Amino acid sequence: MKFVSHLDMNRFMSRLVSRAGIPVWYTEGFNRHFYMNFAVPLSLGFEGLYEVMDFKLTDDDYSLSECLERMNKVCPPDIEFFKIGEPKESMKEIAFAEYRLRFEALSDEFAERLTGFLSQKSVICEKTGKKGRVKEIDIIPKIKSFSFDGNELTLILNAGNEDTLNPNLVLTAFYAQTAAPPVFCTVTRTMLFNKKLKPFE
Amino acid sequence: MDNNEFEKLLLSVQKPGRYSGGEINSVIKDKTAVDVRFAFCFPDIYEIGMSHLGMKILYSQFNSRDDIWCERVFAPWVDLEALMRERGIPLFALESRDPVKDFDIIGFTLQYEMSYTNMLNMLDLAGVPPRSKDRTDFTPLVVAGGPCVCNPEPIAEFVDIFFLGEGEEVDLELIDLYKKFKKSGGSKAEFLREAAKIEGVYVPSLYETEYNQDGTLKSVTAQNGAPATVKKRIIKDLDKLYYPEKFVVPFIDIVHDRVVQEIFRGCIRGCRFCQAGYIYRPVREKSVDTVNRQAKCLCENTGYDEISLSSLSTSDYREIEPLLNKLLEWTTEKRVSLSLPSLRIDNFSDELLEKIKHIRKSGLTFAPEAGTQRLRDVINKNVTEEEILRTCKTAFAGGYTAVKLYFMLGLPTETDEDLKGIADLGQKIVDLYYALPERPKGKSVSVSISVSTFVPKPFTPFQFEPQITVDEIRRRQEYLKSQITTKKISLSYHDSATGFLEGVLARGDRRLCDVVEAAYKKGCRFDSWTEHFDLEKWLEAFEDCKIDPAFYANRTRDFEEVLPWDHLDYTVSKDFFIEENKKAKSAKTSPNCREKCSACGAACYGEGVCFEKR
Ligand code: SF4
Repeated sequence: MKFVSHLDMNRFMSRLVSRAGIPVWYTEGFNRHFYMNFAVPLSLGFEGLYEVMDFKLTDDDYSLSECLERMNKVCPPDIEFFKIGEPKESMKEIAFAEYRLRFEALSDEFAERLTGFLSQKSVICEKTGKKGRVKEIDIIPKIKSFSFDGNELTLILNAGNEDTLNPNLVLTAFYAQTAAPPVFCTVTRTMLFNKKLKPFE
Repeated sequence: MDNNEFEKLLLSVQKPGRYSGGEINSVIKDKTAVDVRFAFCFPDIYEIGMSHLGMKILYSQFNSRDDIWCERVFAPWVDLEALMRERGIPLFALESRDPVKDFDIIGFTLQYEMSYTNMLNMLDLAGVPPRSKDRTDFTPLVVAGGPCVCNPEPIAEFVDIFFLGEGEEVDLELIDLYKKFKKSGGSKAEFLREAAKIEGVYVPSLYETEYNQDGTLKSVTAQNGAPATVKKRIIKDLDKLYYPEKFVVPFIDIVHDRVVQEIFRGCIRGCRFCQAGYIYRPVREKSVDTVNRQAKCLCENTGYDEISLSSLSTSDYREIEPLLNKLLEWTTEKRVSLSLPSLRIDNFSDELLEKIKHIRKSGLTFAPEAGTQRLRDVINKNVTEEEILRTCKTAFAGGYTAVKLYFMLGLPTETDEDLKGIADLGQKIVDLYYALPERPKGKSVSVSISVSTFVPKPFTPFQFEPQITVDEIRRRQEYLKSQITTKKISLSYHDSATGFLEGVLARGDRRLCDVVEAAYKKGCRFDSWTEHFDLEKWLEAFEDCKIDPAFYANRTRDFEEVLPWDHLDYTVSKDFFIEENKKAKSAKTSPNCREKCSACGAACYGEGVCFEKR
């Protein structure tokens, strides 16, 4: 699933609910389609362990546990829906995401350079916005915390529609500034948090 | 390849979803629990191969058997190919990611000639020698099917076995024979001789070719007990035929991303340029119930919200109206839309027209193929100007403002007059629009004319005809362009050089194997992609092999000449093609199969349109 882009993911979900045969709500109008929304879209190549999406059912009394069961039954093996329920918080409450970057090999020297990089007061780099417009941003204030554990770096970054920092941008900036030889790493988003750093529900 | 290495690889290429596998309804089996592993290769990219109905059918059918695991393989795009070569990663199958060379059978489907170099490149990437004679081990066997196989001579030295005609039965018969040999430990040579006894199986290495002084073919002689002619296979009863209940549903967008529901095979029309119209004869239909049941099942199992009815000419399905009514019973409620390619709606009831009104939002398209009635008679294309203008008139009144027209350039007997006819027809449509009081207010009309280059194909009445030269193609394109005087008409045409090479390969003989191999060694691949097609390299390959491509493309063949595909029996007789060729030259049309049988030969199967009551 990690090689599925966000756009493809929408189509995938629409077909999935159709195979599951659950009574989902479709938009009105000329081009009627299944309406759903991912809280924070996941980048191509990342794995996600705690992804959140919402959609509407047309039947208020439809059993949510049956819904969950049906969706999991028509799912490919590497995706699982683990919970379905009435929203407790608005999607707007999402403020942070936790990422686990697992490096193929992590020398002490590399870890030190990375720590040094992340401990700076400010790192200005270019970010390409939605319409292809490039703007300069400071990534440091958007990094809530970081910690190392063996080959893994855990980052908690700002997330949510207004203000999202992609870990790829952190890496790009790091390599650009330090000219360190790139080390392959896989990225997993392990959690979405609300403003109080509690798991978003 | 371990997971990490695979991920690294995919993260460095465009569209990794082409190679990741794991799609809904893709089939994973325990490789130790199957007898035969079949690598089904489509020699083009994922998005094209995954849109192909034949591959979907055979993939599901093979996998419906417990003893076979069929996996999919597509041509890696140039970015991935470069990385694979650099890192020494062999071609792999999508499901297991195992190297293709470890499979029992490597099967290619050949849909167009311009994919031949991709086939060789895939074999090379797999680490399998391209030439059949260099693969002395029993496995992997290299087999191929698809329309190009009606003249497989230009690739005959690369493939061990060709399947002629429809694959559903013959493929499995061959796999069964393979299983038997694998158990008993027979040799490849013995196996091939045995395989050649199966109807529809062509083993090219068992045929010896001789040539005349003038370069034409003298004879093709069967050896070692192989049949003198190989007859294509067809499925007699489509209602009893296996049809998938599931399609693999891609994550990424592909060319035809929907349920494709076959309604019949073959075509009654007999347009003289159209190979498909002859090699799939006779017409056999599926019943309304079968079509409805299969389409519904596919929608449920895929989650697709669109069905496209598939055949060579939707309108010729005898029960199209009952079928649409039946489909509409459930598709409307399920928000499934129907797309009905090439449907004529002239004689539909008002009630049905009302029902399908909202689903026919696709454009207004016609394929007159030629610009004058005379030339349309030559090619036996049953479309008249009045018909086109009449349909346009209704459509314009109903709010349409865009028309698409398809033509061919370089048809036998074509003159500048015929080309001018193309421009004139476009102009008449523009004039009609502006003369119509009820036309959409304030909008202008757009007529787009798309012109492809005619390529004479085997098993058509035009198989004897010369193709016009590349220079002449360009001249005619320029002339046609000069005849169009309004911006309301847009003109597009195919690359002239591509058509030329396609023409050479389509009617080539076995001597072209060297050229195809030389071209691929020079780096030719993705020849059907304009940005990758390199005529210069191909011309060098011809030169290196001392072969004149014009001999194949631009030469008139006598009716008596032995053609490279004469020993392949697609049941439509050469005599029939000769008669049709003569009629074409005098601009006489032939009736379609439902009007009157022309005794082409395809009735020998004892099935289909040939036995309908007229
Ligand atoms: S035998 Fe007659 S009806 Fe049958 S395919 Fe040929 S022309 Fe058509």
